[in-house]
Amino acid sequence: MTAAPAAPAEPEDLNALDDEAFRLHVRRWIEANYPPELRHPPKRLHWKDNKVWYFKLAEKGWLCPGWPKEYGGMGLSPAKQIIFTEELERWGCARTNDHGIVLLGPLIINYGTEEQKRYFLPKILSGEHIWCQGYSEPNAGSDLASLRTEAVEDGDHYVVNGQKIWTTLAQDANWIFLLVRTDKQAKKQEGISFLLVPMDTPGITVKPIINLELHDEFCEVFFDNVRVPKRNLVGQINKGWDMAKALLGFERIYLGSPRQSAYALKGLRALAEHMGVWEEPEFRDRYARLRLDLEDLKAFYGVYVAKLRRGETLGPDVSMLKICQTELFQRIADAMLEIAGENAGLLGPIEGNRDLNPTGLYIQARPATIYGGSNEIQRNIVAKNVLGLPG
Amino acid sequence: MSEALAGTEAERAESIRMIRDSAAAVAPRGGDTKRIRALRFQDPGYDPAVLRRMGELGWIGLRAPEAAGGAGLGMGELCALAEELGAGLAPEPLIPALLTATVLARAGERELLPRLLAGEIYAPTAWQERPDTLEVPGSPDAPRRFIPQAAGAELFLLPVREGGRIALYALPRAGADLALERTQDGGNFGTLRPALGEARRVADDAGALLAQALDEAALATAAYLLGVMERSFGLALDYLKTRQQFGRVIGSFQALQHRAADLRIQLGLTRASVESAAAALDAGAEGAARRAAVSRAKARAAEASLLVTRQVIQLHGGIGYTDEYDAGLYLRKAMVLANQFGSAALHRRRFLRDAPEGDEE
Repeated sequence: MTAAPAAPAEPEDLNALDDEAFRLHVRRWIEANYPPELRHPPKRLHWKDNKVWYFKLAEKGWLCPGWPKEYGGMGLSPAKQIIFTEELERWGCARTNDHGIVLLGPLIINYGTEEQKRYFLPKILSGEHIWCQGYSEPNAGSDLASLRTEAVEDGDHYVVNGQKIWTTLAQDANWIFLLVRTDKQAKKQEGISFLLVPMDTPGITVKPIINLELHDEFCEVFFDNVRVPKRNLVGQINKGWDMAKALLGFERIYLGSPRQSAYALKGLRALAEHMGVWEEPEFRDRYARLRLDLEDLKAFYGVYVAKLRRGETLGPDVSMLKICQTELFQRIADAMLEIAGENAGLLGPIEGNRDLNPTGLYIQARPATIYGGSNEIQRNIVAKNVLGLPG
Repeated sequence: MSEALAGTEAERAESIRMIRDSAAAVAPRGGDTKRIRALRFQDPGYDPAVLRRMGELGWIGLRAPEAAGGAGLGMGELCALAEELGAGLAPEPLIPALLTATVLARAGERELLPRLLAGEIYAPTAWQERPDTLEVPGSPDAPRRFIPQAAGAELFLLPVREGGRIALYALPRAGADLALERTQDGGNFGTLRPALGEARRVADDAGALLAQALDEAALATAAYLLGVMERSFGLALDYLKTRQQFGRVIGSFQALQHRAADLRIQLGLTRASVESAAAALDAGAEGAARRAAVSRAKARAAEASLLVTRQVIQLHGGIGYTDEYDAGLYLRKAMVLANQFGSAALHRRRFLRDAPEGDEE
C-alpha cells in the first residue's frame, strides 16, 4: 500500500468551497478511509458489517450531511449534499443503517420538541440508536394513507396494535418510527400520527422476510398491545401524514441518481466483452441506445440538481426522474441477461468474478420500480399533479 | 427418420390430450410448490424417484421409436407434456434425459438404452463447449459446460469428432472431473473435463441425429417456458382480481388492465408459435424448415417468458419480491431456461438464415 497523500487541513466551511473543490475534498477522504473490502457490496449490508463505516463517518463529523451544524450535522446545502452522495455512490460505499440520519433526524429537527432533539439526535450521531421505518402495511402499500396500525390513548400512553411490512433492516434496529392511525373517523390522511418506539418494548415481534436476492433485508414487524409513552409522539396528533410526506420528495431525487445505471452499464460492457459480443453490430446498437439513455438521464438529473442549487424546492415532476432511472437500470440488467447465454441461469457471478454478475443485477433491478413509491404511483403523480389530468 | 406421423387430426388431438392428462401424475394442475421448494438448492436438485416415474410413464422414450422400446410419439405430445411440467416447475431433467435416449435409440444403441428409458440412470449429453450455441464441435479435450442437473448424472454422453463424423462415448460419472455450479432455480450446471480413456464408444455417426435432437430439445424447452409463463401469469391475474388498494381491486385500473392484456397477447403468440412448430415437425419438416420453425418458437418463448415473469413481479409489488411468494420461482426458472438450447438472439439469427425464401408474405 502506498501512503495516502497528506490530507489538507479541513476547511472551516465546506459550503464555501466551489463544487469541484468540494467534490475532490470529499473524494480524497472517502478513498483513504472507506474499507476496501466493502466496496460495491452485492447485497445491502447488515449493521454488524456496515457499522465500521458508520463510525468512521461519525468520527469525521460527516455522518449527517443534511443536518444543521448546531445539531452535529455538516450543514451542507442541498447541492453539496447531492455531490456528497454522488461521491459515496461513485466509490461503491455501502449504505449504512441510515434511517435515523436521512429520515428521522430531519423530521425531529423540523417538528420535534426541544427535549426530543436533545435526547434523540446525539444518539443517532453516536450510533447508540439505530432506527428503522414503519410505514407500509400488508394492505397499505401504494395506498399508504389507508394504513390501519392503530394507537389508542390510555392514560399517558398510546397502545399500538397492528402490523408493518417491508421494514428495512428492522432486525438491526433498536428504535422504530411509525405512522399510526389515531383517528378512525377522520379522512384517511388526517387521522395519522407519528410515533417513536423502542424495539424492545413488550409486544413487538420482528420476522425477517427473505427476498429474491435470498437476503433478509426486509422484515415484518408485529405490534400486540405495545405501550408507548405519549412523549414519544412527534409533532401534533393526527398531523403525521403531512410531516412524513414532506420527506418523500427528497427520496425521489436520490432514487433518480444516474449512478446505479452507470454502474450497471459498466457491468454490461464487461459482460459483452467476456461473451465476445462487444464488437457485434446488433449489440453495439443496443449498447449505444442504453448509453445515450444514460447520458440523457444524467442531463435530466442535472436539471433537478440545478434547481436545488438555486434553492428551489422540488415539485412532483421529480417523479419523472425516478421512473427514468429505475427503468433504465432494468433495461440494462435485462440486456445483460439476454447476452449471457446459459450464464443467465447461474445463482452466482460468472467464474466467481463479481464484475460479471448478470443474474445478481437482474434480480436486484426488479424492486427498483416497486420501492420508493412504485412507478405506477409515480406515473399517477405525473399525470395528475404535473399534467393536471383528472381522476 | 423424420417421416410425418400417422393418424388423423382428431387422433393426434386425442393423443396430445391424453399426454397432458398423464402429466398430472408428476405436475398436478393447481398443485402447490412445496415439493419444488424442498428440492431447491439441495443435491441433486430434483427427485430421482420422480425421474424414474417419468421413465415408467414412457416419457423419456416419448420420441424414441417403438422398435427401440420407445413410445414413438410426436413433438405435439412432447410439447404438451413439457408445457405441463413447466407449469408445475418440475425440476427433473426430462428434456436432457429424453435428448440422450432419443439419440441413442435412433442410432441403434441397445445396451444402455433400456436403463435410460426406464429412468434408472440419468445420462445427460455433454455436448456444449461454449455458452449460447447449438453447434457441437466435439473437441476431444474441451470442457463440456452447462450440463443440466449434472449432480444427479451417473453417466455422461460425450460427442467426439472423429474425422468427418461425430461419435458418441459414454463416460461414467465416477472418477470424472466434474465441477458443479448452482443455478437460480435451485438446480445445477456441471462442467465436465472429458477423459476419453475412461469412456466407451456407443455410437459411430451421430452428428445429424444430435443436431435434430438439439432442435427438438430447443422446442420442448420453449414449450416448458410456455407453461412457466402461463402459470406465472395466472398468479398475477388472480392478484389483480383480489388485491385492493384505493378502495377497489387493482385490476380495475386501466393501466394495469392494458398491461395484463399485452402479456396475454404474448402468451397467445408463444402458444401459437410453439404448437405450429411442433405440428410442422410432426408433418415431416426437416433441415432448414425444421430449424426455422424451432427457432421462431424458441426466440418467442425466450423473450416472452422473461418479459412475463418479470412483469408478474411488478404487478404484485413488494410481495412479488419475496422468496416465500411463488412469482419468484417462475422468474428464476425463466432465467435458467430462456437461453438454454439457444438464446432469443441466436434463434432470431438462425431463423433469418434458414427461413424458406418467399415466406415474407
